[in-house]
Amino acid sequence: MHIVVCMKQVPRDNSVKINADLTINADGIEQIMNLFDEYAVEEALQWNEKLGGKVTVLSIGPEDWKEQIRRALAMGATDSLLLSDAAFTNLDTFGAARVAAAAIKKLGDVDLVLCGRNSTDDETAAFAPALARLLGWTQLTYVGKVVTLESGKIVAERHLEEVVETVEASLPAVVTVVKGINEPRYPSLLRIRKVAKVEIPTWSAADLGLSAADLTPALNLVNRVPPPPRPKGEVIEGKDAAEKVARLVDKLMEAQVI
Amino acid sequence: MANEIWVFIERTAHGDMAGVSKELLGKARELADASGMKVGALILGAGVGDLANVAFSYGADTAYVVDDGALAQYTTDGYVGAAAALAKKYQPALILTGASFQMRDFSAALAAELDTGVAADSTNVSIDNGVVSAVRSSHGGNVINTLAFAPGKTAVVSVRKQSFPEPQANPGRSGAVVTEAMPGVPMRAKVVSVAPKQGAVNLADAAIIVSGGRGLGSPENYYKLIPPLAEAVGGAYGASRAIVDAGWVPYEHQVGQTGKTVSPKLYMAVGISGAIQHLAGMRSSRTIVAINKDPDAPIFRVATYGVVGDANEIVPLLTEEIKKRTGK
Repeated sequence: MHIVVCMKQVPRDNSVKINADLTINADGIEQIMNLFDEYAVEEALQWNEKLGGKVTVLSIGPEDWKEQIRRALAMGATDSLLLSDAAFTNLDTFGAARVAAAAIKKLGDVDLVLCGRNSTDDETAAFAPALARLLGWTQLTYVGKVVTLESGKIVAERHLEEVVETVEASLPAVVTVVKGINEPRYPSLLRIRKVAKVEIPTWSAADLGLSAADLTPALNLVNRVPPPPRPKGEVIEGKDAAEKVARLVDKLMEAQVI
Repeated sequence: MANEIWVFIERTAHGDMAGVSKELLGKARELADASGMKVGALILGAGVGDLANVAFSYGADTAYVVDDGALAQYTTDGYVGAAAALAKKYQPALILTGASFQMRDFSAALAAELDTGVAADSTNVSIDNGVVSAVRSSHGGNVINTLAFAPGKTAVVSVRKQSFPEPQANPGRSGAVVTEAMPGVPMRAKVVSVAPKQGAVNLADAAIIVSGGRGLGSPENYYKLIPPLAEAVGGAYGASRAIVDAGWVPYEHQVGQTGKTVSPKLYMAVGISGAIQHLAGMRSSRTIVAINKDPDAPIFRVATYGVVGDANEIVPLLTEEIKKRTGK
């Protein structure tokens, strides 16, 4: 079975700034693998250990974003692919899905695509569904357990807000996973050293047959601002814990929140 | 583009119209009245009953209905297939949906099927000179984006619940029902079973949330202090990522960047230092109470009321005081 994991590099935390041209400035923030994508990598590796075949980790980004692909390789992914082109700089979610769909079509023999439920930076949760429609495959989102995976068929639990849906679907399919589906492994030092020099194949827009029109954002970003500051708070003082507590309860009752 | 704004009608487990759909019908009505448009209710299901009339009472002019056994359960293929066929035929300018997991699945796939993107989990939507714009936050609430759709395509916007007030129902209103047959689309997924989630906590719906963090010292202290305080204020209880990852509390309770985003009227953070990943999930709460030993903890920067002190001393007193004063 050939499983592709779509992996995104994101800032470790979201204390980002906004540049004058409305792009995001994450300078000085460490870049990491999107947390939900770690679960997707781990799930792919576990099924690969049972079923054999390939796990290709795929990412879209500049050349210097190979570090997280290497991390996935060090976890155990068998293959990798970086989709990199100056034309990909300002992709929106739908554009990114178009790029990934073109690459997966070009790979040709893919049975299953795994993604994290969303990225922790853009938080659209729209990449995987868009990818599925562009590929013409079905999708299973918010999967908390893959019950069975075999040639041509997957049975999985979708963990929604209040219910668990068990769904059976034909392959190929696009699946997104939630936190807690597994316990992602740490790459061993031995494997980190082993993959340090592995060449990561890179495909450009031209390699994928994508034109400028394919990469035009579907939604135009017209404004981007930080959230309004929270009103200044107050520290509740008192001679002891009991007095502080009494004053806090006064405030909460005055504000009619309890 | 037809001159219509559609609202996807969601149902509760009991089959009634979901609150978010009423909120969206109210907003659609307001936008339509301001720009000379009409409101359509998109009703998909098997045995949709009286939903069209309910939609009319909340402001819809037309109900577009596909009532078919293939839609008895939500599947992406069935629901997106039916909605896309209707949207391609009637060309609404905008389709609004809620932003539950199921609706995030639906709206993103529907937008792609209509060759565009979705403005996901938005908190506002507007139409100016025929251009649809939506406001949505990203980066854990640290960035507020305004996105405009290209004219000439159906815009798809999923909207976080309680972004708009629920309108008054007007049972006298009526409208037209347009019924269409289920289109022939491949149905590649089948729901085998639906079970209530074990230990489900709908933090997103809770008006009050009491969360605990590592400052509590141990899981025993968490359970001794946090659920009783939550009970005293009639709220749900949450947790920081640190103690979820440490196994003190199940993931269902996690608030933050990789847990749930909440905005209750009261959020109480006990023994939580306020890592940016946690703030991402709760900073839009109306009133925030922070209880922490460390006066320099970042949580105090977003707190409405801060109490510096040992949670193990303060929380039992607080629980008792609230019970006494509110008579619960």
